Amino acid sequence: MPASDEGKMGTMLTGFSTRLRLSGALVLCAALAACSGGGGSSGSPDQLSAAARLGQKIFVDQTLSVSGKQSCATCHVAGFAFASDNSAGGPDHGLPVPLGGPNMDLSGFRNTPSLMYASFIPAFFFDGDGNPNGGFFRDGRAATLADQAIAPFTTAFEMANADAAAVIEKLKTRPYLADFTAIYGADVLNDPDTALKRMGAALAAYETEDPDFHPFSSKFDYWRNGQATLTSQELNGFALFNNSTKGNCAACHPTTSANGSTPAMFTDFSFDNLGLPRNANIPANADSGAPDYTPVNSDDGVHTYYDLGVCGPLRDDPGLNKSGICGQFKVPTLRNIAVTAPYFHNGQFATLADAIGFYVRRDTNPEQFYPTDSGGNATKFDDLPALYGGQFLVNINEPSSDANYAGNVNTGEIPYNRRLGGQAALTPDEINDVIVFLCTLTDGYDPAHPAAQVLPAQCRAAVTASTP
Amino acid sequence: MKKPFALSLIAAALLAAGAARAADPAAKPAGVDAATAQKLEQQIDLMQQQLEALKAELGQLRKQNESLAAQQQQQAVQVQEVAATASAKPEGGISPNLSLWGYGEIYYTHPVHQPEDTTADLARAVFGIGYRFDDRTVFNSEFEVEHAVSSADDQGEFEVEQFYVDHQLAPWVSVKGGLFLMPFGLLNEHHEPTNYYGVQRNFVETLIIPSTWREGGFAFHGDTDIGLTWDTGLTTGVNLANWSPNPEDPLYRTALQLENSGAAPLQASHQELQLANAQHLFEYGSLNYKGVPGLLVGAAISTGTSKASAQTPDQRVTLWETHARWTPGAADLSAVYARGSITGTAPYNTLNAGGSNPMPSKFYGYYLQGAYSVWRHNGYRLAPFVRWERYDMGAGYEGIAPGFSPVPGGLASDGRPWPQPYDRVWTYGANFYLNPHVVLKADYQSYQTNSDFTRFDLGLGLNF
Repeated sequence: MPASDEGKMGTMLTGFSTRLRLSGALVLCAALAACSGGGGSSGSPDQLSAAARLGQKIFVDQTLSVSGKQSCATCHVAGFAFASDNSAGGPDHGLPVPLGGPNMDLSGFRNTPSLMYASFIPAFFFDGDGNPNGGFFRDGRAATLADQAIAPFTTAFEMANADAAAVIEKLKTRPYLADFTAIYGADVLNDPDTALKRMGAALAAYETEDPDFHPFSSKFDYWRNGQATLTSQELNGFALFNNSTKGNCAACHPTTSANGSTPAMFTDFSFDNLGLPRNANIPANADSGAPDYTPVNSDDGVHTYYDLGVCGPLRDDPGLNKSGICGQFKVPTLRNIAVTAPYFHNGQFATLADAIGFYVRRDTNPEQFYPTDSGGNATKFDDLPALYGGQFLVNINEPSSDANYAGNVNTGEIPYNRRLGGQAALTPDEINDVIVFLCTLTDGYDPAHPAAQVLPAQCRAAVTASTP
Repeated sequence: MKKPFALSLIAAALLAAGAARAADPAAKPAGVDAATAQKLEQQIDLMQQQLEALKAELGQLRKQNESLAAQQQQQAVQVQEVAATASAKPEGGISPNLSLWGYGEIYYTHPVHQPEDTTADLARAVFGIGYRFDDRTVFNSEFEVEHAVSSADDQGEFEVEQFYVDHQLAPWVSVKGGLFLMPFGLLNEHHEPTNYYGVQRNFVETLIIPSTWREGGFAFHGDTDIGLTWDTGLTTGVNLANWSPNPEDPLYRTALQLENSGAAPLQASHQELQLANAQHLFEYGSLNYKGVPGLLVGAAISTGTSKASAQTPDQRVTLWETHARWTPGAADLSAVYARGSITGTAPYNTLNAGGSNPMPSKFYGYYLQGAYSVWRHNGYRLAPFVRWERYDMGAGYEGIAPGFSPVPGGLASDGRPWPQPYDRVWTYGANFYLNPHVVLKADYQSYQTNSDFTRFDLGLGLNF
């Protein structure tokens, strides 16, 4: 598929950073593991359908963008679990959001999500309790993978085509046009909207069929199948991850199969509002300095733009604007989370340690995450309008000042049901344990050659010396 | 019942004959001599005396009837002979072979330390349909609505509780097939509210023996002349894949929620013939001895294999129990001990390390109960009782991650400790029967471990 909903500018990868080399090795390992018949599935281009093979070609074709420098693969890099390379030397110059547009200088609004295991996401729906579930993009606004795949082609700050017709005109110049017409017929080219949908179908077929997107070849998968052993630290991290009174991560990121056959997805596809800090590194958050295409949606005198997730503004669906869910974003899978930094929809945190630290200390130590003045006044949930429970003022020196919170941010579930001055749900050592467990979710593990998988530095740094 | 009925017929015949003869003098022709008339009068006097004697006898019989009815009422509770079979049920009017019956119960439960959880519930309404095809073949079924309203958006359930055919092969052996009740404990096969003491069923026969426990399959059963009954068969079993290893919040916060939560090992895994996984069948067998009047002793066992997940080995699940009931006079004493085990739980619990609901390897429970009918009058009966029971749904665990406990040690998201899966419970109460078919109940339950569960209950039950 083309770039993410957040857009991404930059050329294709021009070199291999250390991280990318590691990740490239990871993908190679994934392929090896898959071929070895381990936890993953095996596949080759020959096993892909004609539509999937077409989708594979579209996925990497930069010609389909106005800039001529952006394809789906620009933002969804195989070596980063089909998320983006946000490293300082990468195409986004270290921004938490991708760059795109006609000149590859327009910033997107959100951190690029991984496409791995995206084909398992159900279409968007409200459950019996009125809670949103599923859908594509971080706000679930695309019903299907195909719908999501074609959106960036015509997004001004991504591939920037004016309309479907402009995309199809480019398609007509491509060497795989014959593949396209052989599958969908030549007549469809006279109906650009439909033809673009066919391109989306081909991209979705590629992401669905190619096991590179869902190899199930992590150490965790091999361990579940009895072909690998977790270290005591990994196992402890897993237990902390599961435990309802510690991490409670599994409440939204289940570690067991949902249907008894497909391995655990590490997401329940629900939505949640975590009250993330406002990320000043996103250009759209600069208020008066924000790009002119930033949708203004606030006159609260604090900010002119808030990303309210399922409530918009990127999701233009007034019928779904239930005030109680404003600020909620879809829970992502945690598979390959170690290689998809930065974290959360706004890319606020660069490392897993920071991300998990936010989970467990958001309420006990808000000064670590939110604007705090010298008097100890912290503005919690500063990326959410007061109308929805944002801009919540507490004083870190007054333990009762955070009582009686009423707003959209989740303050009821463990681990974010704590109070000022309380004990964090996880200690620093326990956070390290959870990190090393999360690193076992990285695809490309080979049980026959465990050392061949070189995990990111943050995984290695979290391994405690005392734990084998 | 036969003797009073026969005597009544004789009395009626004599009365009719007497009445006819008494009418004769009025019809006699004129000219009958005085001697004859006197003789007739003497005969009439004699018959009147006989009638008076019969009246007196009838009066006695009525008293005997009342006494027998009361005795039957007591026996229905004490001996638990009333099986849920068509033969014990009144026949309907549509066809003499068709029988209809029903039972149900309504609760009011008030946790004294958690009054906000006070609950009233039409716990179950059950209707049975039976049909006798011939002298040796009978069909029985029961359909149940739990919690009054059943739909996708409600908490209630509509379920088939029994659906089987029973055929007598010989006087000493019958075979049954379909969905039938498992012959375990004192309550499972006789779970009508008039048949047990207390507003709710006891915990041992709810959490350890998952009453109302039924399985699909077939079985042979029969009686012997010495009072021994036996029952053995092959049925569907539990499906451990239904286990929920890591619920985010406690599955129950009150005793009533505990009973309805399905949290207990076999409650969570029995299948009720709902697209049941039948790859592995379970065997069971039971023996009961009723050869001594007023005494029932028995035992049962069921065992088979299941698999909690594709990654775990086949696991053997076994449940056995033994029970006794003695009903000397107005007293009613009973006891049940039940114990279960699940093998191969260590790998499963490791695969779900840190989970809030690990699969236990052992579970058990037992109770002692005493009741006494202290008052009877005009069909009413009052029977106070006391019961002490102990249950442990997690008497053993394997594969728990180091540093973690089977029950989460911290507070749940509601700020309260997690409830423990074991307890010792005293229950004091009384059943007050309006007649053998309608009972009012009241009890007070005191919990030693989960003290917040302590509650006061009221109930209304019926059975026809």
